[in-house]
Amino acid sequence: MGARLVSRRLAITTRRLNTAANQWRQAIAEKNPSINALVYTTPASDAISSAGPLSGVTVAIKDNIATLGSPTTCSSVMLEGFTSPFEATAVKLLREAGADIIGKANCDEFGMGSLNKYSNHGITINPYQPPSGKSEKRYPGGSSGGSAAAVAAGMCQVALGTDTGGSIRLPASYCGITGLKPSYGLVSRWGVVSYADSFDCVGVLASTVPDIRRVFGTISAYDTRDPTSAIPEVRERSLEALNVRLSRWDSERGSEKSLQGLRVGIPQEFFPAELSPFVVKLVRRVLKSLKDQGATLIPVSLPSTSYALSSYYVLASAEASSNLARYDGIQYGCHVRPPPGSDLTKISRNYALSRSKGFGPEVRKRILLGTYALTAGAFDNYFLQAQRIRQLVRNDFDRIFSMRNYYLTEGSSSTKTEESLGPQVDVLIHPSAIRTAPPIEAEDEKSSSGESSSLDSYVQDVLTVPASLAGIPALSVPVPSKLLLDVEGDGWPVGVSIVGQWGSDELVMKVGEAVQKIE
Amino acid sequence: MSGFGSVAKRLLHDARSYRLAKNDQRWPEWQVVVGVETHAQIKSRRKLFSHSLTSEYSAHILPNTNVSVFDAAFPGTLPKLNPVCVDLALRTALALQCRVQPQSSFDRKHYFYSDLPSGYQITQQYAPLAKDGVLYIRQPVGDWVPIRIKQIQLEQDTAKSTYAPKTRASHIDLNRAGTALMEIVTEADLRSPEEAASYVRTLQSLLRAIGSSDGNMEDGSLRCDINVSLNRFGMPTGSGTRCEIKNLNSVKFITAAINYEIRRQAALLTSSPEAQVEQETRGFDETTFETFRLRSKEDAPDYRYMPDPNLGILRLSDERVQHIRATLPELPWTARERLKDAYALSDRDVDVLLNIDNGRDVRYDGEDPGESSAIKYFDRIVKNAGDGNGKRRDPKLVANWVTHELLGQLASQNKTFRENTVSSAQLGELIDMVQSKVITGTAGKQLTRYMLSKPASDSVFQIAKELDLLALIPSTAPASTSSESDKDPLITLCEDAILALPSEVKAARSGNKGVLNKIIGVVIKQSRGRLDARRVREVVERMVSDESGPPS
Repeated sequence: MGARLVSRRLAITTRRLNTAANQWRQAIAEKNPSINALVYTTPASDAISSAGPLSGVTVAIKDNIATLGSPTTCSSVMLEGFTSPFEATAVKLLREAGADIIGKANCDEFGMGSLNKYSNHGITINPYQPPSGKSEKRYPGGSSGGSAAAVAAGMCQVALGTDTGGSIRLPASYCGITGLKPSYGLVSRWGVVSYADSFDCVGVLASTVPDIRRVFGTISAYDTRDPTSAIPEVRERSLEALNVRLSRWDSERGSEKSLQGLRVGIPQEFFPAELSPFVVKLVRRVLKSLKDQGATLIPVSLPSTSYALSSYYVLASAEASSNLARYDGIQYGCHVRPPPGSDLTKISRNYALSRSKGFGPEVRKRILLGTYALTAGAFDNYFLQAQRIRQLVRNDFDRIFSMRNYYLTEGSSSTKTEESLGPQVDVLIHPSAIRTAPPIEAEDEKSSSGESSSLDSYVQDVLTVPASLAGIPALSVPVPSKLLLDVEGDGWPVGVSIVGQWGSDELVMKVGEAVQKIE
Repeated sequence: MSGFGSVAKRLLHDARSYRLAKNDQRWPEWQVVVGVETHAQIKSRRKLFSHSLTSEYSAHILPNTNVSVFDAAFPGTLPKLNPVCVDLALRTALALQCRVQPQSSFDRKHYFYSDLPSGYQITQQYAPLAKDGVLYIRQPVGDWVPIRIKQIQLEQDTAKSTYAPKTRASHIDLNRAGTALMEIVTEADLRSPEEAASYVRTLQSLLRAIGSSDGNMEDGSLRCDINVSLNRFGMPTGSGTRCEIKNLNSVKFITAAINYEIRRQAALLTSSPEAQVEQETRGFDETTFETFRLRSKEDAPDYRYMPDPNLGILRLSDERVQHIRATLPELPWTARERLKDAYALSDRDVDVLLNIDNGRDVRYDGEDPGESSAIKYFDRIVKNAGDGNGKRRDPKLVANWVTHELLGQLASQNKTFRENTVSSAQLGELIDMVQSKVITGTAGKQLTRYMLSKPASDSVFQIAKELDLLALIPSTAPASTSSESDKDPLITLCEDAILALPSEVKAARSGNKGVLNKIIGVVIKQSRGRLDARRVREVVERMVSDESGPPS
């Protein structure tokens, strides 16, 4: 092929790619004003799209992930106008793979929230259109609500989110898309603004599992700048074990029964009383279909689950109160000058004004909770107790899964003795959320600073926090819309979660694909 | 050290009762109980959790230039533990005979202050790096006593804040932020201001010897907090309420602060039967030499310690600890024993060598100090005799050359040992040349002076030859080879002198031995120090006493 021909073909490809990119940008221009999913859009580039495995893939980045050349505000007044001097490793990897970073996505302030309600950029609106045609404003879920809404509205092919206690899975479920919270430690957190370091995961939201797989494959890499990044040896060992499992599954699989040999656990604690009845019905349909395809359904029990939510909120708030101590308004971010004549000899006077103005209500609440949990008098009863529960939750999962946890067993000699344990499974399946997307109340829309929320909003996380406590992969996939029609629901999407042992992200995605293919 | 070490170790578990209460005439009623918390900056090139250089490494640099995004607590940054800092802290732990913890971890200590950009300091509150060590200190009377080390922990230094009264503004320099510190905590085993001073000095010399810190109190790379309590004799030791004096940065201030605190607490306790010392944190005024109240126990901040969720558990393998142990630089007291045992050096020579070492520059990252260590310099001269068959030079002779000639010449040129430009190989060669009479002792001294003022890497022989300082009669030259044409220059010079000084020769022949020295002096002068005085004396004596007189 002559060089001229090559360059002409390249030019055509580029034009096509650019046209594609412009289509995404067109969608942003049309829909974003009403949906408010993106808080910053990068200028369309005329340059030839870079080559690479993700060439032409448009990606929105949650606003708590540092990007060069665009603000990283975490939807907080505290970081209004803040632009990071460096870029998150995950974003850098995407750019190197040729992805088109299309903009920054709205989120709950510093990732704290389950609705995308607490944002100084305003509420994000769930773009889902129910088949009934009935127009209704609902929340997209949070905290990665902007990321989920942007994908659901067709403003980008893929979005990066972060998931601390369900912040990817919940909005994916509410918006009817797919969202992966990977195993903790697979994707670098360098450049991800910490909410609760021991939980925070960068994950991917997209319409389909293959899109998630492509992007996840790019950003799942060891990074020396993240001390919690799984070292290559751990990655290899767990991948080896996973491949052994997958190949055994392949060999057991019958020709017509595609899920033959797959052991699916149904955790009884993940079907609580708060669950909407039609959600249960839909999940049963999904499970039945998987069984028809050959999967073995096994009822299992994770007895520590009932304490998981309390443990999560103590630990995550404690870490948040620590991580957010740096926002003192002195070196960067919001600074409120004390009024003239104030006594500045008291250190607190210099900080309190900036921090009171810079943080929204939900962030303030969690900082106060976390600060309390760490005080000398409360530490043993709250923080240490919550840590013990976290270990119990991890033990529950480790006991149930047929694979070993290679991430947390580093340095200890514990090996899995399969005989001594009860039934073991490859993955767990349960509803992603107790309900569909909650409607936006009129008063919420007016102001996002309302303190209307009680513990109710925390209950939404009850099904997602266990996997966060354990640091294991969880994928929320929408129940296929065909099934939705059969069940008397509200017509809004319902997500099911597939949860696996640490490092079995690929297995979780494979099962997710099977769910998406259900007819 | 090793001799009484086993005895002392046996007594260690009850070190307090071992420390027999002795009445101090200055405060006869009181037993003084002191504990020391030392913060020593680790001498690493880079900071504890970031890649930034430590500031002293690039001295006199502008404020806020050695700062990474992590040091400045930018959102999205994460710590990365610098293994060099861990290794240097491990050296300290092993030198202090601590039990290194196979697993330790990091915690965050929270407080809001402008010198702490992240709002917390990363330290090791719950699981320190090492525990239960001991440091032997010499009491004023000369006994060695064990001071128990409670623990050693790694932590971050804060930024430096300076207040500008004119503009009423605080200036923050982040260059220091995140530099590694070792916190070394004693049990309350010290019993007087002098013991506390001795402890700090001993610790300082230990840290320098192993290269983990330069321990400079005046630069702030070593800071001390002191706990002081008093109890009446007869009451359990340590039963008094303690006060902590913060941030003392010289041994003199430590002594002064403890003295003041003893008198203050004693006065308080004797003022009335009910009077009690209040537990509090105190500061020290460097101008009045008094301590003052900073805050009471009630005002003590709650630091809300939390395990750091990023750094996880620091696991130290046996191999790593063993490697550190195997490569641990010689400790000051071991060096003292060795120099005395192996070389039979005098106490004076050993003291001189150890003192030079204590004052030397500590290298970064625990690198071998090489010849900047006077002891290593000395060792090399003694051991590397150059013939490759393990022959040693005479240690006393070498000590003499190093501590008298070399240090003397350095002192006369207003230089310290750091500025020594004569390599161990050169001084060794020089000593050999003097020994084998290739040059005279006088010429050797001249050469030393010359080589200090004109540093060169040439061989000493070469330099001596260029300066025409080689002895006129090499002792190696066999007499039989000398012919008339190359007659022994010593003989020639002696003959010349005897011819030139007939009256002195006459006086000498008639028994005036004193006049011989004059003749010898003339010969030596004529040779410009290249002749061995003893040989000159032999020849001159022989010539003078020779009845036939000099050949004419």
